[in-house]
Amino acid sequence: MIDAAPLVDRAAVSAERRARRARLWRRVRRQPLGLAALLVLVLLALAVTLGPLLYPQQPNRTDARNILKAPSAEHVLGTDELGRDVLARILAGGRVSLSVGLLAMVVGLTIGTVAGGLAGYFRGRVEVVIMRLVDVFMAIPNFFLILVVVTAFGNHPVMVIVTVGIGFWAQMARVVHAEFVKVRGYEFVEAARALGATHPRTMLKHVLPQVAPQAIVLASLGVGWAILTEAGLSYLGLGIQPPLASWGNMLQNAQSYLWLKPVLAIYPGLFIAVTVLAFNLLGNALRDVFDPRG
Amino acid sequence: MTSFVLRRVGLGLIVLWLVSVVTFFLVHLAPGGPSAAVNFEATAEQREALLEQFGLNDPVLVRYGKWLAGVVRGDLGVSYNQGLPVGLLLRQRLPNTLTLGLAALVTATVLGILLGTVAAIHRNGWVDHAVSTISTLGMSIPGFWLGIVAIILFAVELRWLPASGIVSSGSGGALLDRLRHLVLPAGVLAFTLMPNVVRVTRSALLEVNRADYVRTARGKGLSPNRVLFKHAFKNALVPVLAVLGLVTTALFSGSVVIESVFGWPGLGRLAIEAANGRDYPVILGATLLAGAIVVVVNLAVDMLYAVVDPRIRHD
Repeated sequence: MIDAAPLVDRAAVSAERRARRARLWRRVRRQPLGLAALLVLVLLALAVTLGPLLYPQQPNRTDARNILKAPSAEHVLGTDELGRDVLARILAGGRVSLSVGLLAMVVGLTIGTVAGGLAGYFRGRVEVVIMRLVDVFMAIPNFFLILVVVTAFGNHPVMVIVTVGIGFWAQMARVVHAEFVKVRGYEFVEAARALGATHPRTMLKHVLPQVAPQAIVLASLGVGWAILTEAGLSYLGLGIQPPLASWGNMLQNAQSYLWLKPVLAIYPGLFIAVTVLAFNLLGNALRDVFDPRG
Repeated sequence: MTSFVLRRVGLGLIVLWLVSVVTFFLVHLAPGGPSAAVNFEATAEQREALLEQFGLNDPVLVRYGKWLAGVVRGDLGVSYNQGLPVGLLLRQRLPNTLTLGLAALVTATVLGILLGTVAAIHRNGWVDHAVSTISTLGMSIPGFWLGIVAIILFAVELRWLPASGIVSSGSGGALLDRLRHLVLPAGVLAFTLMPNVVRVTRSALLEVNRADYVRTARGKGLSPNRVLFKHAFKNALVPVLAVLGLVTTALFSGSVVIESVFGWPGLGRLAIEAANGRDYPVILGATLLAGAIVVVVNLAVDMLYAVVDPRIRHD
């Protein structure tokens, strides 16, 4: 690489960087909903990580003498059909649902970014093959695809994560592909290539950072989608398996007790809805921060 | 236009064929694939006989060849668990899914366009914010949970509507009874599909509103309503049309869960039952059928799109 230092006024660069950061912060402050969503997510994360340590009840201990109990000092949200503490299960289930959602997003976003990036960067035959594959995965309704994978590969939690991730890599790939095609055409990319940067270096150092804002927005919306999907899958008995609690599988049995104790079906869903809502609001806010024109 | 149509149909067929490749090999190369599914309480000889009967002793490529040859002739194989032709099972279930899907699609589209338009007219006003809140909720609330809540409210507490099924026993299948069963599942499904339509309608209308010809129309002194409905609306509907393909895909995904919540005997429920019983021919058949419908709908949308906006044809 050519050393560009003598050509650049370092003081001016750092002043420019400070100014940019200040502009970004001003835009962030104009997103009260997004900040509130972030706060909710931080609180949820704290609750599901620290909560089980502070709350004395065990999530998986059944108690035949105390089934379907109303809330009390001992069981803050009551007990379920097996006498298990509902709050303890919500906290334990939240840990599972949030982790599955985050990790599935990482899986989907990674596959999508690599595939979409390669297609958008190299174009030509690579692009045709990858984007055709994207079309195929987009044509199979997510849930059917997920059913196929789960049936064939089983529902170990790791498989659930991979499966849910596979359910939306194609959408990610489409967006990343379009961004790569756009950024690829910019002059600074051409300049980097002319200066002798290798393809991997150009992709990672020059193109990817420009695509990152879009990817972050997608990631936030993706976590919400992944949590919804895991919940649906587990509700159907095909995702996370009891006794391990997840917000989805807590609803699986609750439906049998709708007439007896409808509130059992309310709590887990409420947590799913609030969490997904927070991720969606955060994603929208991030989009506005990165692209104030939109 | 003819070459455009032919090219699109060809592409659709290729995508559909690739769908069959992806799903078939995903299933048949998996460690827990069909050969592993045939083993419950069977002696070695029985197991061997079953493998032979379902053609699972052939190499996987031969299996795929035979399966595909059958699919082309409309023969999707035989269900492992029910012993019935997969085609028959799909034919029994498909009409129910189409009824539910169509009802949800129409509701979501009509309400979505309506809300999107109202939001665009009152841009940044409280109506706009209310609509945006509704559609964000539609994106965030799990459909199956909303379904459960709807059952609690309308079936358990108020007793206005039935909690599940497609028709009451003893009602003789009267139309009104069928409609009453349709309201909750279709309403919930529509609520989860609507956000896409609202969003696209709103942004398309705002986009068109900035166009020169709309400004001209307004400059001529036409009333805002006339400008909206006579000039802006037609062009704004083009992107809305495009999103309907996406909504159809989401519809099938959503129907899998919603059908389970409401005991609706459709394609999605069939797929779930098959997944629970590892009935591979049925899962493959249902997935392929869902994929085929999505491909056909997208094809239809592409065609309509090209009719409405001639620029597309010359891409």
